[in-house]
Amino acid sequence: MRYMQVLLVLIFCSFLPDSSAQAVPGPTEQLKPTLNVLLDILLDPSLKGSEHKEARRAKIMGHVTQRFDFREMSQRVIGREWRSLSQEQQDYFQELFTKLLENAYIGKFESYSGQEVQYIGERIRDERAIVSTQIENNSQWLPVDYIMINKEAQWMVYDINIEGVSLVRNYMEQFKSILRRDKFDGLIKLLEEKNRTFE
Amino acid sequence: MISKKIFISFLFLVFIFGPVWDAPADEAEGTVALPRDNVNKEFDAFFDSEETSDPLESMNRVFFQVNDKLYFWILKPVSTAYRTVVPHSFRQCFGNFFDNVAAPVRVVNNLLQGKLAGAGVDFSRFLINSTVGVLGLGDPALHSFGLEPRSEDFGQTLGFWGLGEGVYLCLPIIGPSTLRDSVGLVGDGLLHPATYVLGTPQERTAYYSTDKVNLLSLHPDLYEDMKRYSLDPYISMRQVYLEYRRDKVKDRAVRNEMMTEF
Repeated sequence: MRYMQVLLVLIFCSFLPDSSAQAVPGPTEQLKPTLNVLLDILLDPSLKGSEHKEARRAKIMGHVTQRFDFREMSQRVIGREWRSLSQEQQDYFQELFTKLLENAYIGKFESYSGQEVQYIGERIRDERAIVSTQIENNSQWLPVDYIMINKEAQWMVYDINIEGVSLVRNYMEQFKSILRRDKFDGLIKLLEEKNRTFE
Repeated sequence: MISKKIFISFLFLVFIFGPVWDAPADEAEGTVALPRDNVNKEFDAFFDSEETSDPLESMNRVFFQVNDKLYFWILKPVSTAYRTVVPHSFRQCFGNFFDNVAAPVRVVNNLLQGKLAGAGVDFSRFLINSTVGVLGLGDPALHSFGLEPRSEDFGQTLGFWGLGEGVYLCLPIIGPSTLRDSVGLVGDGLLHPATYVLGTPQERTAYYSTDKVNLLSLHPDLYEDMKRYSLDPYISMRQVYLEYRRDKVKDRAVRNEMMTEF
């Protein structure tokens, strides 16, 4: 009798939605809406041109910060030394680094003119995932991979890989030698100077 | 005599500091399904950076500065003047021409890696573009037949067969390279028709310089953007070069293999 009860409970349970696997959308499903919104903003005629730059950037960054984890990126580019920094230092670094990425890369994306984006596939391992896409560029395909991390059911981008070249790792290598030479304060000074050149 | 000495001591340095031979890569050819362990290894490579060997950094930085000066004093002014005189569509055509002439390099290197399909694609591209594309000035193979070039060079071939990249080098005039890719450049030179068709070194220099000036005129912002976005352009360029080349050796096919299709 007891055996039957257990069996019934098991059968019942198997009909319940599997909360760990099914309820949470995968990395691609989470990334796609954000990218679509971003591409729409870039194509929006009312936001085009340098006179709308401020409004456009603000709108883009509003969406980017929901799916791109700048804290995670900051932590990674600094490396081991991150934990020895104070909360204020971490926050200020994140602010400067986010600004640098905004200046450097959103500026580049602004030349987007409706090229097709294809989703090639995704791969998940534990809490990390790669979403592979490609974008049309002069009738050839440019591979762009989004490296993501799962934080409380939210898949967040922490690196972009274009033709195998990682964005975060590039800065990581640069900062490594600057930190060794000029310490954290020197890095902050260089970042401030760099960001000023974009104004 | 002195230059020979420098060369030998240079090689000596390289062998002391940089492991040239890695363990042979156990990856199979692109389209073959990989065993699970290899897939996982490839997957991890996305997250963890490979070690960079740059024991000659101080020398490399000097050549980086030299190249930077050459860029702003010679290459850029020449390319800018050329760009204002020659319309974009012409420059595009010249670019196609230079690419088409180099077809033997790609075909042979595809063959050397056992990539018969790739060799076939590049050979067809050469035939189509040399005829329908009028001496390679057009690229109907891509635009009408959808045949994308399968760029392979001797550096990639050496990497495919398991030769490690060796130390990073920033060569004068040529720019970023590795020990393996420098050997590759020599090999590709031997496969390039210009080596045999053009008799004198001056003619070959003129040919390759025109190729480079034309290439730069098609991508005028590349170098300066890189400098603008980076805090240490030398390291940024080194990292871009190394990761780009590693990706090339690894092949898109392998990495797409490990992605689950929708």
